[in-house]
Amino acid sequence: MAREDIHVGLEIGTSKVCAVVAECREDGEVRLLGVGESPSRGVRKGEIIDFENASNCVREALSDAEERSDVEIRDVWLSVTGSHIESFNNRGSVTIPEDCGEITEEEMQEVELKAKEISLPKENIILHSIIQHYYVDGQQGVLNPLGMLGGRLEADFHIIHGVRTRIQNAIRCVKECDIEVLDVVVNSLASAQVVLDKHEKDAGALVVDIGGGVTDYIVYLDGAVRHSGVLAVGGDHITNDISIGLRIPITRAEKLKVEEGSAILGKSLPGEKIVLKNDTGFSGKEVEREMLNLIIHSRLKELFEHVRKGFAGEVPEHLLGAGIMLTGGCSLIRGIREVAESVFDMPVQLTHAHDVSGPTSAFENPRFSTCIGVAKYAQAVRSEMPQESFFGKIFRKITGKR
Amino acid sequence: MITFPKYLDRTVQPVVRLVGLGNAGVNLADRITMGAPLPLQVVAVNSDQQSLSSSVAPAKVSLGPLTTRGLGAGGDPEIGFDAAKESAVEIEDALSGADIVFLCAGLGGGTASGAAGMVADLAKESGALLIAVVTSPFAFEGRRRSAQAATALREIQARADAVIHFENDRMAELAAPRAGVAETFSACDALLGGCVASLVRLVAAPGPLAVGLPDLLAVLRSPTGTCLFGTGASKGDNRAHEALEAALKSPLLDSGALLDQAGNLLVHISGPPGLSFAEVGVIMQEIERQASTSTLLHLGVATSADPSSPVVVTLLGKTGAECHPSAAPVDVIFSARPARAVPPPPSAPAPEAAPLQEELVPTVEVPVARQPLPEPVLQRAHKAAAKTAPEKIKQETLQFEPVTRGRFEKIEPTIVGGEDLDVPTFLRLNKRG
Repeated sequence: MAREDIHVGLEIGTSKVCAVVAECREDGEVRLLGVGESPSRGVRKGEIIDFENASNCVREALSDAEERSDVEIRDVWLSVTGSHIESFNNRGSVTIPEDCGEITEEEMQEVELKAKEISLPKENIILHSIIQHYYVDGQQGVLNPLGMLGGRLEADFHIIHGVRTRIQNAIRCVKECDIEVLDVVVNSLASAQVVLDKHEKDAGALVVDIGGGVTDYIVYLDGAVRHSGVLAVGGDHITNDISIGLRIPITRAEKLKVEEGSAILGKSLPGEKIVLKNDTGFSGKEVEREMLNLIIHSRLKELFEHVRKGFAGEVPEHLLGAGIMLTGGCSLIRGIREVAESVFDMPVQLTHAHDVSGPTSAFENPRFSTCIGVAKYAQAVRSEMPQESFFGKIFRKITGKR
Repeated sequence: MITFPKYLDRTVQPVVRLVGLGNAGVNLADRITMGAPLPLQVVAVNSDQQSLSSSVAPAKVSLGPLTTRGLGAGGDPEIGFDAAKESAVEIEDALSGADIVFLCAGLGGGTASGAAGMVADLAKESGALLIAVVTSPFAFEGRRRSAQAATALREIQARADAVIHFENDRMAELAAPRAGVAETFSACDALLGGCVASLVRLVAAPGPLAVGLPDLLAVLRSPTGTCLFGTGASKGDNRAHEALEAALKSPLLDSGALLDQAGNLLVHISGPPGLSFAEVGVIMQEIERQASTSTLLHLGVATSADPSSPVVVTLLGKTGAECHPSAAPVDVIFSARPARAVPPPPSAPAPEAAPLQEELVPTVEVPVARQPLPEPVLQRAHKAAAKTAPEKIKQETLQFEPVTRGRFEKIEPTIVGGEDLDVPTFLRLNKRG
């Protein structure tokens, strides 16, 4: 049955397309067999703008992953993101028929359907509906009401929805390579699977996954998703800012950001200059280090402020007991933690995928958090499917298959 | 045994006295008295009793109470001179005991123009080093005043060890064109005050790399040429850079453009004890880049004991090199903008320390009319002017930048809360380095 337990997570990111082949054991351990990667072309802000190029990148990444893991990939779980993805919390309620009074599977499905009965824009589709809490006859905080007695069942769901066609485009991009897409997962949800453990989800935590084109964030409290969101600002924006601010080409700006960039102000010597060496097609130049840092600092500070504004109405910050986790490729920028701490005023840590084994270089790299998270999510869904537990119910409306 | 003047002895703190002569001088004296405490004694000297009595200077000398009856010279240098003659004893008393005298005056009026020469004479007789800080009147004040100012300036130049001469016309550029009259005058006064304060600091402050009087005199030795002066202070994170930037912003430096015409340039950097060597290096590098290769730089560094004191960068110099025998007549011909007509010679000889007074101040006055120049010299000079002129045109940086989104130009914008997040944050916040 080894074949059944292998899941492939695929992420079509703005800076890279990566595929993770993971073996998922019964006990929940995820072992990475191989990670395939290809620099991304034709993707901006997490969404495909050049179908053919993006499709080629997917093919490259998948064949790279096949080579490294020695597994033939036939189907993948795909992570999606983009500014069109939105979320909200909604409550559904059903009345239990008087004659039995016991809450059954049927009622629980019905309450979920009720919660999803909301007016979405016509072109939108629900990607996830994640249970937060059940209420049985007004009794709060029921985790699993199956088998309980009651007259009225209510439930709070966190619903994540997005534009159908845009998600379908991502799926079609993979299907171009004759690979089946089993399901799609929203980036933030996937990242949280490997970045947070159960205790952290209970204590309350914010995961901010800053990628190349977008920033995905998700708030857990009392073990349930309380808020999630996507902000179409990422590392690309920093590069773009540097390019405009220092008047250097994009490629040089990217290199400068990675090699020299820092988000901490006031640490450089006054008037300290960075000498950019001649490059192909670029004559050398001197840039001021403080200016570079100021550009990065301003962008990150603003980004975190928007994230904070995004969830501040839903969840009081002081309830996030486990603090804030930063992940994603952009979290590698020097000084990002200090900026985040100054904005959120609470402990911030840089994290990567936990509870996975395999090549350390892969899972300890925050760039792969989402992709590994997709594989883990797949495992969680698969393992819990037979018992139909409250977490991890996924909806196959998008693919319309299986 | 050769005895040196007392002001050359660095073991004792020199007694510095500032004499504000005439209305403008009294104003400046007031400003300096009320400003940050400096190791100097301020004396206000005027023939106008009204201005004297409203002055806050600790010491006051009333000029010619019998000649003017305390009503001032009324713009007539003759009356000013008579008044000074009448009060010569009082002036001498006020000057006695000083090692260094700063004579501050606004030339062109009656009191300052008439009495300046006299006061300068008395100061020299008392054995002090005399540094004159004078302004010439605005062009619109009339030619008569300009002529009076020019005569007085020559008198001072003949006597003073160093003359720092500001043209009011150029100082007015300090203030915005629409600024009020009071604002403009106060900006001019502030610049003068800053100049005197930094000179005092420069002479009096001990430091690891002290600039002495010899350096100062060497820089100010050239009798012609425009005075270059700029000072800037900053306490910020990027203080070295900001202080230099502020110093270069001075209109007397033409935003740093005139630096490359300076024959001698004195750079004085003072700061808190934490002033780092790297910061000094940064400042000097920047100046080095803007100055011409032939400019002789005099660097002075001083640190104060107070950790909260800002980094102050002071630039002082004169356009053109030292008075060159062959270049002198041309200098006189193009006295309007001599420095632009005569590029500095490739190698300005390093001035010796403690120069003799005869060398310092040229006493020869060459009236233009009496010494006509041969035609070729004039033509050459014109050519030189024409040649150097195009270099002066500097490409201005465009202030207004259109909103730019760079690589996100053609794709769906990220608009959050009405703000286009694709536009660089620092541009939206208008943070420029």
